[in-house]
Amino acid sequence: MAAVLPPSGPGLPPPPEETEDVYSLARAAIGVPSDLDAVELVQIGEQTMELNMGPQHPSTHGVLRLVLDLDGEVVRECRPDIGFLHTGFEKSFESHTYQQCIPLTDRMDYLAPPINNFGFSLAVEKLLGIDVPLRGQYIRVIMCELARIGSHLIWFGTHALDLGATTPFLYAWREREHILDINELVSGVRMMTSYIRVGGLMADVPDEFGGMVEQVITTFPKRIDEYELLITNNPIWVERTKGLGVITAEGAMSYGASGPVLRGSGVAYDLRKAQPYSSYDHFTFDIPVGTHGDVYDRYLCRMQEMRESVRIIDQAYRNLPDGPVNTTDRKVALPTRNEINTSMEALIHHFKLVTEGFHTPKGQVYSAVESPRGELGFYIVSDGGNVPYRCKVRAPSFSNLSALPHMVRGELIADVVAVIGSIDIVLGDVDR
Amino acid sequence: MPEAVVRREEAFGEETVYVAREHLVAAATLLRDDNDALYRMALYVTAVDFPDREPEEPRFDVVYQLRSLMYNDVCRLVVQVTENDPHVPTLEKVFAGMDWHERECYDLLGIIFDGHHDLRRILMPDDWEGHPLRRDYVSFGEPVAFTHNIEWALPAQERPPGMPGSAR
Repeated sequence: MAAVLPPSGPGLPPPPEETEDVYSLARAAIGVPSDLDAVELVQIGEQTMELNMGPQHPSTHGVLRLVLDLDGEVVRECRPDIGFLHTGFEKSFESHTYQQCIPLTDRMDYLAPPINNFGFSLAVEKLLGIDVPLRGQYIRVIMCELARIGSHLIWFGTHALDLGATTPFLYAWREREHILDINELVSGVRMMTSYIRVGGLMADVPDEFGGMVEQVITTFPKRIDEYELLITNNPIWVERTKGLGVITAEGAMSYGASGPVLRGSGVAYDLRKAQPYSSYDHFTFDIPVGTHGDVYDRYLCRMQEMRESVRIIDQAYRNLPDGPVNTTDRKVALPTRNEINTSMEALIHHFKLVTEGFHTPKGQVYSAVESPRGELGFYIVSDGGNVPYRCKVRAPSFSNLSALPHMVRGELIADVVAVIGSIDIVLGDVDR
Repeated sequence: MPEAVVRREEAFGEETVYVAREHLVAAATLLRDDNDALYRMALYVTAVDFPDREPEEPRFDVVYQLRSLMYNDVCRLVVQVTENDPHVPTLEKVFAGMDWHERECYDLLGIIFDGHHDLRRILMPDDWEGHPLRRDYVSFGEPVAFTHNIEWALPAQERPPGMPGSAR
């Protein structure tokens, strides 16, 4: 800034056009040498304040740090800083056999572990060229849809909590408990189930499974009605979320956003319909889409998705066929106890599978599933060994979060929290 | 755009198109805008490291996966680059979402995306050294020296050349 001396004599106004003079006056008034570069006085209109939000901030749903440039209360720019939860899963995959990778996938999107297992298993099964029996496929679908409901429940509870509604949070966690109980029943673990494995499932479901799933099917639609009664037409909620964090369909696609973020903008794209895997084409269900691409539409989409998930579980459970749940390919799936006791060959297979794992053909595959957050893809490169040569996880939260700066630009700072909630990120999925 | 395609491979029902680096931006733009393709959504970009290839062969396969919602299809583009020249033109102007994915690829594999507006680390700390997803990067394992691998206990400068973690 050029050094302009203040006009001599009191009461003499600076020339109205040249704002620089105002600052020169100010500098002189506070005794700052006018040639000091370190003191940079900028025009009021361009002045922004940098605000650090997170990583330890309850509304960031994990460890996300946002650097916000604020103009008063308006967000001019948002720079997310991620990586606090980076665990290097992709590196770890390279030193674990395919079945050993399954527990690692659990821990990426930790709100919907079965769907991660499922995505990875499908990619490896594509590489191996094996099919899973129909009963296995149906149980996979039931477990994944239960996980989707569980994940959406956490999203619903925390999203509402972020915006000041405490009650839904407690209700959502109460309902999620049923789903965790089912997880525990089938796999012995409440969250990190590792239940879906390459070639099928860990084991067939126990007898009590039916009763618990039926309970979800009968009670859950009423519960969603309750939630909707609380929130959907609540004037405070509508006021705070309508027209907020808008992203157009074109914008969402360009950012690679998927799942409810894309569907909330009006694009009816759901991998369960578009590229039906694991017999999703046997079930009737709808894809909820929004129209405005704002926080409210994404909210409506997810609420409706929970209802659709119950519909899918209902159909899958009523038509659950009998038969094996695992592939009969003994080069991939473990032989049964009875086979091991009676067949030498089965014993050898068991030994080889446990100690060394199976080998996959050389090549590269990409396979994707619809996770609660969007397109969860696994790109696996195999060199013919028993471990993946390279496994890239296409995490939906990562792409969805990269659209956040676009969504919050020009919004108020208090609304940033609402927009983050509506993207439904899981930082374990973002950072991997 | 036949001049851009180096070769095609088909396996597991998926097609992989190897693209020349200088034609990448034009090819991606064409795939995005052409009415018979409309690959509007970029799923990810990553790279695969093949250090065991011959020295004159390209070490990295930079892999792009695009999705066409209109035709319900994915396509995979691969650009091969060498270790000494790991440069690829950026696609962030073609697909806005490529911004973060390219940063991730730079961070973890050291591929440099020319023209990217803000190419810095995204997942690893800013002062991290090395690119963890390269095959010759040792991720974990405290070196424990036994008689058969006594050189593990040596400091990095004294390890035999070519050994993981060797400074030479």
